[in-house]
Amino acid sequence: MKGLMTPQPIRIAEIYDDGEASRHFTFEAINGTTHSAKPGQFFTLVLPGHGEAAFTYLSLPDADGRFKALIRQAGSLTTELFKCDTGDLIGFRGPFGNGWPIDQLLGKRVLIIAGGIGLPPLAAIADHLIADKNTQVALIYGSHSPTDQVLKYERSAWHMYMPVLETFDHPSNNEQLAGTPLDHVTEIEIKPGGKPEAILTCGPEVMMDAVAHYFTQNNLASEDIWLALERRMHCGVGECGHCYLGSSYVCTDGPIYSWQQLTQLHRQTTA
Amino acid sequence: MDATTHNISKITHSICPFCGVGCGIGLRVEQGKITGVEPLTHHPVSQGSLCAKGWSTAYAVDPIDRIKTPLIKENGEFRPATWDEAYRVISEAFSTAISEKGPDAIGIIACARATNEDCYAAQKFARAALRTNNVDHCARICHSPSVAGLQQTLGSGAMTNSIGDIEKADLIVIFGCDPTENHTVLGGRIIQAKLAGAKLLVVDPRLTRLAKMADLHLQLKLGTNIALINGLLHITFANGWEAKEFLNSRCENEEALRAKVAEYPPEKVTAITGIPEEKLISAARMYTEADRAMLSYGMGITQYTTGTNNVISISNLALVAGQIGREGTGINPLRGQNNVQGACDMGALPNVFPGYQEVEEPANREKFAASWQQQLPEHKGLTSLGMTKGALAGEVRCMMIMGEDPVVTDPDQNHVRRALEALDLLVVVELVMTETASMADVILPAAAFSEKSGTFTNCERRVQLIQPAIPPLGEAKPDWQILGELANHLGYSGMNWKSSEAIFDELARLSPIYQGMSYPKLAANYGLQWPCNDQAPGGTALLHSKEFSRGKGRLIPVNHADPAEMPDEEYPLFFTTTRLHFHYGCGSMTRKSPLLERETPNGVLFINAKDAETLAIGPQTRVRVISRRGEVETRAIVTDEVPPGTVAMPYHFKEAPSNRLTNNAQDPVTKMPELKACAVRVINLENEAT
Amino acid sequence: MKVFILEDIEQLRDHLATQRQVFTPQHTEGSTELDWLPLTHKTKSITSAWPVLPTYPAKQFFFPDREILFQFDGHAFEEVLPEVELQILFGVRSCDLCAIAYQDQFFQQDPYYQARRKATLLVGIDCKQPCEGGFCPTVNAGPFIRDGLADLACHQREDESWLVLAHTPEGAALIQGLNLQTADPNLITQRSTEESQIAAGFPSAVHIEAGIQRINQAQVPAETWQSMGLQCLACSGCTNLCPTCSCFTSYDRPIADGIERERCWDSCLYDAFQREASSHNPSADAGQRVERFWFHKFSDAYVKTFDRYGCTGCGRCEKTCPGVIGVHSVMKRISGTL
Repeated sequence: MKGLMTPQPIRIAEIYDDGEASRHFTFEAINGTTHSAKPGQFFTLVLPGHGEAAFTYLSLPDADGRFKALIRQAGSLTTELFKCDTGDLIGFRGPFGNGWPIDQLLGKRVLIIAGGIGLPPLAAIADHLIADKNTQVALIYGSHSPTDQVLKYERSAWHMYMPVLETFDHPSNNEQLAGTPLDHVTEIEIKPGGKPEAILTCGPEVMMDAVAHYFTQNNLASEDIWLALERRMHCGVGECGHCYLGSSYVCTDGPIYSWQQLTQLHRQTTA
Repeated sequence: MDATTHNISKITHSICPFCGVGCGIGLRVEQGKITGVEPLTHHPVSQGSLCAKGWSTAYAVDPIDRIKTPLIKENGEFRPATWDEAYRVISEAFSTAISEKGPDAIGIIACARATNEDCYAAQKFARAALRTNNVDHCARICHSPSVAGLQQTLGSGAMTNSIGDIEKADLIVIFGCDPTENHTVLGGRIIQAKLAGAKLLVVDPRLTRLAKMADLHLQLKLGTNIALINGLLHITFANGWEAKEFLNSRCENEEALRAKVAEYPPEKVTAITGIPEEKLISAARMYTEADRAMLSYGMGITQYTTGTNNVISISNLALVAGQIGREGTGINPLRGQNNVQGACDMGALPNVFPGYQEVEEPANREKFAASWQQQLPEHKGLTSLGMTKGALAGEVRCMMIMGEDPVVTDPDQNHVRRALEALDLLVVVELVMTETASMADVILPAAAFSEKSGTFTNCERRVQLIQPAIPPLGEAKPDWQILGELANHLGYSGMNWKSSEAIFDELARLSPIYQGMSYPKLAANYGLQWPCNDQAPGGTALLHSKEFSRGKGRLIPVNHADPAEMPDEEYPLFFTTTRLHFHYGCGSMTRKSPLLERETPNGVLFINAKDAETLAIGPQTRVRVISRRGEVETRAIVTDEVPPGTVAMPYHFKEAPSNRLTNNAQDPVTKMPELKACAVRVINLENEAT
Repeated sequence: MKVFILEDIEQLRDHLATQRQVFTPQHTEGSTELDWLPLTHKTKSITSAWPVLPTYPAKQFFFPDREILFQFDGHAFEEVLPEVELQILFGVRSCDLCAIAYQDQFFQQDPYYQARRKATLLVGIDCKQPCEGGFCPTVNAGPFIRDGLADLACHQREDESWLVLAHTPEGAALIQGLNLQTADPNLITQRSTEESQIAAGFPSAVHIEAGIQRINQAQVPAETWQSMGLQCLACSGCTNLCPTCSCFTSYDRPIADGIERERCWDSCLYDAFQREASSHNPSADAGQRVERFWFHKFSDAYVKTFDRYGCTGCGRCEKTCPGVIGVHSVMKRISGTL
């Protein structure tokens, strides 16, 4: 496939700080070329001379080819990206991955549970589900502390359209909810009928595992619990091997897996 | 866009340019570029294996970042220059320094990574062209105590046995070295022997990979080697486990040693070393009872102010147990660089001519003066650390450094920088812009090992041929050619060799241990082990089998002494330096590999979980490490591989140079700095921030 | 498939050399190492090195150690596809041919691999005796060449003449002009019988069979993997020499006015292979990485996709591993047959 590994140039259109060591980026296509993507898919950014890294779509490309990402400074590529300015040209490849299983979510009561920097991969699907009037959706977002929270503008909008609980390991005052998202999971109401029929979660693996265990114990089928995984992803097309998870490659078979799929993958090996 | 075809055009057999094991390596050439390597299945040392560094060799010599022309510094910036111009600048400065201060105002640092021919040329350049014995190389900071110590006790400072003996030993003793990291292919052969039934005894303050596999691990405190060995000898004599017949027939000075080790009863040794008495007894028993016990050691013995005495102590142990002079036994210093053995053999040292012939011995001087057609200096020269000291004192005015990076690899970095800044002229011969090269006034581009012919001598004294896979990059030249041409500019014409082979023939003629060797003979045999001469035309796999090089093996009583700097209230932690499998020296070759560079962050501090807890340090916590000489910021790795109270840092990274912290207190005999022990305190920078 | 009789294998080789550049396993000058090198007038007979495998399989012809992916000049990214002279690999063994077929499928979408592969024809040679450490019959990868995996398959007969099996039209075209005599169809049947006889002569591989079973039932205790993890020195030798290993990483190199991106072989045995920017590592334990490597070679989960295991029984990993955890050592350990 021609162009498999070769990036397209894109331009940084907008940058603002959003949470601890995190920035909100808007990218735009050059020459009006756009692409389409699904919520939960990801793309890579290429900084010539500094390599390439994968990021999730915070908002999907619009008609003008503008899309967004929330990026936390973690390694050398993001350090370099944080030195970039609006107007800078960088490389892009994507979209990659399977995305959230939209067809299996529409018309259901969906609970979204996000932890820390796991919120951005859930943003586009949250917007998508909010827009469908037959689907009920609610969000619990857990953070280490208030200063660690990301997506301030997105969250304030979500508060208007769905129930949202925000929890903190270390709250800064008594009004804030202390604890993990699971500590408060019974406090969120998804009308009508109350109990969630599908769970979407993204965050630290320990949190996601706990969420999956909780809901399977509370009689939700493991195929209705969906997790977005993080792995070191390079090529995006299932070739380079870095993102293996058992016999699966997260960049093509994932990054979204049902808990049922994951338990099967985990059973393949012993260590 | 350029068409790129990747068709293999040839494979050139060579020797891996990294550690002293000397593995066989094939360099794959495609369209005039070295694109990959392969292991040599039939090579007697490596037997089809390579380590991560060896596998990355193509990156190490990649044209990217290579210096391709001579460079002269002007107003703080380097500009390209012609060879002739560079030679003129150098010869003028050298001549001025010599006329004002004499030949000893110049110092030459040869390179343990270069060929024997290059090292021979470097010492001949110093001695015959400049007429100074100021020539040294990095063996100073790795195995100079081995040479000095074993010379006194056995009469020869090299590995007594061969790598293949690992498979012949019943007990393998790994003393202060980490072969699976630093001599990986040799380390693999130890694993192989262990799996095949050999016993493994590891003596190391750190819980190394081999320590985890060992039958017995003596986790001694830093700097307590002599106390430990004296204790083992005390137990040995007390139980009558010594090799009585061997001591009687082959050794001397036993009574003095007995008297000394009597002062080291187990209780005292346990108190000094931290090793329980039962383990001391088990170790003494294992070593003396084994039919064949092969002992290898490394920097954990030599890099101390007591380095030479540590080596003597190791020798005492092997002699008393009679574990030397037979296959599968011996005292085996594992050498760090591919050709550090050869650089020593070539006399790139301030006190000896090629073949360890003392410069202060008039007969030797006469022999070399006759061959080199030059009057030679009578007194010993300065060591590498002597040269930096001399530079600061204004005695040494010019230095020429061949392929070494003392700014990163030598102790007390700030001191080294000040010394190099004080010089009138610093010449560096290099592949890439190292930290040291960036301080030079003139840089000369060197040909890489893959671009020249010559020989490397591995740690088992095996002299092996290398041959060029591709021509030198840009205007680069082999060191010997550079030195020969510079000698001409200085008026000495005795170095106009036509080929590396001509140099080898000259050096073989002058060094008895190489006398029986020639390129065709080396090519036919995967190299030859010295001594190779009329008595041993096929080389020598095993030294000292009938008698020691000096006659009788000499037992020399030595005393325990603490490292020069011990932890105290202000600097409460012991600090030691280590190496990693993935990097080599200053990293100028290994860090060009994207894989090796990814494998470890740019510097790390290994800290025990207990100390980490006290300081609230977790994995990857940013820390500052402070000694009396400087400070370094890096990230923590919490591990049980270092004991509580001791932290360790690899020395490869210029971003976190451990040598800003190390102590340059020195072994009085060899001037070996104490790189293995000093005192530091560690600060958690993330705690400080919150 | 057409089958012919050939008197002299060198005749075929030299005939091929008139059509394309030919690479063949041969001894590097002055040594006993067997390497893939261009055919020259000095190249000795293909049977002279019998029955040794070349140090490398043939994968570097299609998936080289390092290759350029694209260049960037400050404005645009431009794909750099290799342009490869038409070539023939002469004397590929069955195990390595199975691996090429495996990688053909794995890299189906990869333009770099395909550009090199499409420029290449494969001439295989049936192995007539076991090689040291080889166990191709156990993993259905030899000793004789599987139908369709080479353009031409050559088979030496008792009387030292050769059968040439033209598996593809390209293969048939290669031997046009040699005027070879068509072979008696019985000879094909004879060849099959002979293969079972030769396969029966391989050393016992019960440890491999039992190990495969253990791996697929996830029955190997984690401690066993951990103790083998301790022996993994992370040299990358196994993955470099494995004919089916395909992992890579990429990195940027400066060029005049920009950069070029190269990809190079990577190894899943490196600690940093999966380490993320946050320093979190899903396979931080060396034992996990060793397990994963062997899972990838022997899990039934991949058979669905590739119709075979990822191991073709060449045994190169055993020879190169400094830590004694090549295929035989590992399979003996995990199957309890050590």
